[in-house]
This record gives sequence, structure tokens and C-alpha cells, in this order.
Amino acid sequence: MSFWRSAFVGGSEEPGGGSQGMAIKPPAPDNDVRYEDVSMRFAGHRNAQPTLAIDSFSLDIAASEFLVIVGPSGCGKSTLLAMSGGLAIPTTGRVVLGTEVIRRPGPDKAIVFQNFSLFPWKTVVENIEFGLRLNGVPPAERRERLDYYLPVIGLKGFEQHYPRQLSGGMQQRVAIARALVLRPRLLLMDEPFAALDAQNRTVMQEELVRVWSEHKPTVIFVTHSVEEAVFLADRIVVMTRRPGRIKEVIDVRETTGATHWRTSPLDRVMRRGDFQDLRGRVWDLIRDEIVVG
Amino acid sequence: MSEPESAARRARPMQAGLAVLGASVWITIWWGIVVAFEVPPDFLPTPWQVAEKLIWLASHGIGEGTLWIHAGWSLLRFLSGFMTAAAVGIPLGLLMGYAPPVRNLLNPLFELFRNVPPIAWAPFALLWFGASFGSQTFVIFTAALPPMLMNAYQGIRLMDPGLVNAARMLGAGPATLLFGIGLPAAMPLIVAGLRIGLANGWLALVGAEIIAGPGALTGLGFLILVGQENLQATLTIGAMAMIGFIGALLDYGVRRLELRTARYK
Amino acid sequence: MRYGRFAFGALAIGAVLAAWWAVTALGTVSPLILPSPPTVIEAAQRLSDGYLGASLLAHLEASLSVVLSGYLAAALIGVPLGILMAWARPVEILFGPLISLLRPIPPPAWIPLAILWFGIDLTGKTFVVFVSAITPCLINAYVAIKEAPPELIRAARTLGAGRAALLFRVAIPAGLPTIAAGLRIALGSAWATVVAAELVVATAGFGFVIMNGYRNIESDVMAVGMIAVALTGFVMNLLFRIVERRAIPWSEHE
Repeated sequence: MSFWRSAFVGGSEEPGGGSQGMAIKPPAPDNDVRYEDVSMRFAGHRNAQPTLAIDSFSLDIAASEFLVIVGPSGCGKSTLLAMSGGLAIPTTGRVVLGTEVIRRPGPDKAIVFQNFSLFPWKTVVENIEFGLRLNGVPPAERRERLDYYLPVIGLKGFEQHYPRQLSGGMQQRVAIARALVLRPRLLLMDEPFAALDAQNRTVMQEELVRVWSEHKPTVIFVTHSVEEAVFLADRIVVMTRRPGRIKEVIDVRETTGATHWRTSPLDRVMRRGDFQDLRGRVWDLIRDEIVVG
Repeated sequence: MSEPESAARRARPMQAGLAVLGASVWITIWWGIVVAFEVPPDFLPTPWQVAEKLIWLASHGIGEGTLWIHAGWSLLRFLSGFMTAAAVGIPLGLLMGYAPPVRNLLNPLFELFRNVPPIAWAPFALLWFGASFGSQTFVIFTAALPPMLMNAYQGIRLMDPGLVNAARMLGAGPATLLFGIGLPAAMPLIVAGLRIGLANGWLALVGAEIIAGPGALTGLGFLILVGQENLQATLTIGAMAMIGFIGALLDYGVRRLELRTARYK
Repeated sequence: MRYGRFAFGALAIGAVLAAWWAVTALGTVSPLILPSPPTVIEAAQRLSDGYLGASLLAHLEASLSVVLSGYLAAALIGVPLGILMAWARPVEILFGPLISLLRPIPPPAWIPLAILWFGIDLTGKTFVVFVSAITPCLINAYVAIKEAPPELIRAARTLGAGRAALLFRVAIPAGLPTIAAGLRIALGSAWATVVAAELVVATAGFGFVIMNGYRNIESDVMAVGMIAVALTGFVMNLLFRIVERRAIPWSEHE
């Protein structure tokens, strides 16, 4: 417990305290992730055969990297994310965050869910605060973080609203704020924008990049949108169909160079030739995996 | 306020007016029947005679006290049984919904006892707890418990599992998951269960008071019995009306609660 | 995995039975207040031969005949009336207030009045059973028709259905599950009410058996009566559900 406490107590290790202008201390450099020969087998119901969802998945993710996983439906992406968040335990192999083997969920491996999963009886502020309260963050510091994140994520003025009064895009902002306010080492996002309409989706992708840049947890982002993957990722992992294995790992930075194109507006980036080519390449990889019928 | 909401609000006073009109029509029919067929008052009194009796009872006593004393005792018994049922049933239901082993253990027991109509416990309750308070409270408890327990259980079972995952991710422990997440998520169903439990419990109260007989000494059910034994239909019908009225009032209260807890849904 | 659950349940019931046996065997409670399992079994055997001039079966018959007559009357009046109230506004306006006035009065409250009006014979009990059973029948029938799926009504109208056809061929069939549920609840209510009535005054029936046992401080007889009540209620409910499932195969049953 004291391990992630140090990440919470903000700037207390810096001279002069950390509360002026909310100096966000970067997380301790142990938020790299390693998948060591992970596989997941689900027991069959009654007489059905057990299904192998993930097979021999091994990957090293660097600290603060933005990794995107794409693949056809049913390739096990969500299962992989669940394991990365400690909501599921792999049948064989293990997932390691820094020096910790991930076996249980926690605020240092924050998850943003596809269906938002906001608590309907809590207001926006109460939802975002909840994780902080659970982990004993004192009221003054809670206030500080809220004051910082609410405008940054675009929720100023909506503090006392209930989730049902908000649009999908706004709700997902709350979910993201709820995750980021914990200053997690690892941020897991399970098709977070799939439930939004196309316009909101674009806006949220750009917002995410902006907000993530301040604090830079390691991000594992699951999607089945190739555009999204190519736009956001440092590296893309393309998965095969079930049982999900790594088909190929593509480093987007080889194409973008030093300045990643995600800091530019999406519509402009999408017109670039190199973006199109990369997108085509990823799509071709996935196309083979899509089973029709 | 949206258009349909304001229209509904305007319609309500009109509905209430229509309801009052309809009720008066039927009460007039009641009076008409008594007068037209010259029904003896100890068989079916007129509405006015019943009202007279109630008014008299408000300041004069029968047995242990006035109307208020008797109503108070009924309410006291009811609340004791009802509150105990809620205090036992809701946490137990939550636990059962949350932990399959608990459910597997308690469910068969529950199903077994569910088939016994609560009122059938009255004689044993009289034997065990006495006629003046305990028997009624026990029967009320038996009647109010099942809906509260089942609704709390269903409330957890039907809850969005994503909420549990989100809470665990945020670092919630088992106690928080049960009471900080499960309870609010199940609240609409729990309140619905309270409503049913209230109706069941109030019904059980009356039955238990009547079965307890003269030994109950107080209560609206006791008054009904006294009226019957002394051939005073005014007292019987008056007490019945009081019971109906208080029951409706309690139900109205819980319905208001229902609306408030559903505010954010 | 199924057997695990079954074992758990058997364990729970077994534990309660064992506790019951233990408490009575240890003599911590007077046998007058809590009968022991063996005395209950023995009493059951005694009673099946006869109790106060009538066999257990005869008592069952007495209770059941009251239930069935009151219940049938309630169903035959309540269901059509509920449907009519939901379908024709004038009927709703006419009967609505009456029902709103009478409904809050719990069925047991009617028992002494019924005694006053009809004496202690069966008519009074049938009346109270009727009162208790009519409410679920009527309200469920009302709700079933009021909440008939609008898409179905709309579809039928485009096919040219008139008012009568909409009621009898769309609304009622669509509402059958709800109506059936109301009938089932009414049956349970009727059974509980007849037992309550018999606990107050009777010369036959399970309620009478229990109350008589109470008056003679025969707790074993009381227990037998209660078990008989529970068993009968259970069987009636089961039979009803079987009939329901066959009559309404298209709806999801719990």
C-alpha cells in the first residue's frame, strides 16, 4: 500500500512542496509492462470444449509508452485488458507492471470502460473523487486534483450533474477523469470511444492525447478502429483471430518521426499519405483475420 | 420542466377532483342502501354513524384508551416488525446476491419457509411471545421479510457488473462493494421491496391483532373484534376505515421515497 | 457443480432440523412451546386417522371448498371487470373510486364484519376469501390491458382490426402472462385468508386444527396443522404453475 502512496503524495518530496500550480510529479519509473508468455483458457460450459482466448502472448512495453491493440472481434483484446488490470488472471504466464505481478485490480492500473461504468447515484464530482476517497487521499489534496482536472478535461460547470444528465462524450470524460485523477502508473482503455458518435470520437481522441501528455502513464488502448490505432499509438499490436496471438507489432514512430502526429488535428493527419499507407498496412493485416460467417 | 411533465402536473388536481367525486358517489350509494332497505345499524350503519363513532372514540376510551392509543399501539407493533425485517432482510439479501455460497446456503431454507402463510405463525407466536405485543410483531416480521430480502437479492443480481469492476479497479474492498456500491445500485428494487413488505406487514398486523383476540388489549384490529363481539358495526367499520386510511398513508410515504431515490436514474 | 449447490441446500436444511431436534432434546424449551420432531411425526400419524371427528383429508376438503368457491367468484368477476376498466373509460371512472376506497383495507380486517353479517358458517369465510382474491385478479387484469404493447395494437390496426378484435385478439392474449400472474397471486392470497379466517372461528379446516391445538396447548398438533397448510399451499402453487406453463407456452416463466 505504501508503494503507490508515494505516487499520491504528489510533490511532497520536492522542495517547496508540490501544490503551487499543481506540479505533477511524473510517476516513479516503474510503469513498464511485460507480458510473459500469457495465455487464457476459459472452461467450457457443461460439455462444451474449453476455449483458448489468448495464446502465448509475450510483449515488453516501455514506461510511458502509448500502446494500441487492434484486432478482429473476438480476438481476446478485452480479455487481455482485463488481465492487465487484474480483473482476470491468466491461465499460464503472467503480466508484470514494474516489479509487481498483476493479480488484482487497483488504482495504479486504472481502467476506462467502454460503457463508462459511472455510478449513477453519484454526481460528476463524487464519481471522480470516489477513487481518491477510497484510497485515503486527504480532502485538501482531493480538492487540488479536482480543481486541476475538471477544467483540463472540460467538465467545469458540470460538477453537480448526474451521469444520466450527460451525453455519452461527457460521461466518458468523467470516466477518464476518474482514472487520471488517481495518477495511475498504467492506464487501460477498453474501446473507450466505441459508444460515441463519430464527431465526439474525434474530439475525445484529441482530448485524450492532451490530457495524457501532462502525466504520461503507460497506456494500453484497445480498439477495433484502425484509424484510431494509427493516430494514437506509439506502437500497434495487431492480433490474430481467436486464439489471439501477436500477428505483428508496428512501430508508428518510424513513420511519424520525432514529432508524433497525434498532437495535430485528426482530420489533417488523415490526409497525409504516410498515414494512409500505414493505415492500409494495418488494415490488410487484420483483414486476413476477419472470418466472414 | 418539460412539456409532458407540466401537463401531467396540471392533470393531477383534476384527477384528484374526479377521484373525490367518485368516492363521494359511492359513499352516498352506501348511505342510500342503508336508508332504502332500512338496514339495522348493528348490521350496516350509515357513513355518518361510523364517522360519529370515530369522532367519539378520538376523545373517549374503549378498553385501554382512545382511538389514538389504539392506533398508536398498532403502529408500534407494525414498525417493530417492519424495521426488524428490513434490518435483517436487506443486508441478508445483499449478501446473498453478492456471495453465491451464502445464497446456496440460505435459499433452500428460505424457499421452505416461504410456503407458510405468515398468519399461520400466529398461534405459535402467541405461545412464544404473548398476545399484547410480541405475537403481532413476529407475524409482521415473517410477512415483511420475504419481499425485502428477495428484492435486495434481485437488486444485486441485476446490477450492472461494470460497476463492480469499476469499484474494484478504484480499490474498493468487500465491505465497500457490498454497502457502498451494491446497496445504492440495488436501491430502486430495495425500495420497491419496502413497499411490498409494508403492504404485507400491515396486512399481517391486522390479522395478528384479530387472532390475538381480547388478549391484545389494544390496537385497531382489537377494536374491530370488540365491535363484532358487542354487535357494534360502527366500531368495526370505523376501525376498518382507520386501518385502510393509515395503510394508504404509509404506502403514500414509501411511494414518495421511491420517487426520490429514482431521481438520478 | 450443480450437486455442490444441492449439497449446500441439503446441508442448510439438515442443520436447521438438527438444531430443532437438539433444542427440544436438551429440554431447554418446554415441549408445550416447541414440539420435538418425533412428537410432530407421531401427531401427524394420529391426525391422519382423525381429529375431532374428521380426518385430515376432511379438514383439507373443508378449507379447500371455501377457497375454491371464493376464488372462482373472484376470478370470474375480477378479471373481466379489470379488463373492462382498462378498456372503457366510463367503467374505470365508475368503479375506480370504489376500488380505491376498499383496496387499502386488508382482507383479515373483513373477518369480524363477515362474522357479524353471515355468522360463523362457511358463507362468511367465502366472502372474505372473495374479497382477498379479487384485488390481484382485478388489478393485474387492469394493468395487463392498460399496458398492452402499443406496437402490437398499432400493427393490428393497420391490418384492419376493429375495437373488439383489438381487445380479444391482441390485448388479452398479450396480457395473459400478467393476468395469469394475478390469478396465481390471488390463489396464494385466498389460501392464506381462509387459514386466517379459520384461525379466528371455525369448526373444520387446517386453521381450526391449528387453533384448537393452541387452545389445548398441543403444540405438536399445531405444528402438524402448519405443515399441512404449507404443503397444500405449495402443491396448489406448483399445480398452477404447471397449468400456466402449458396454457401460455410463449411467455418466459421464472
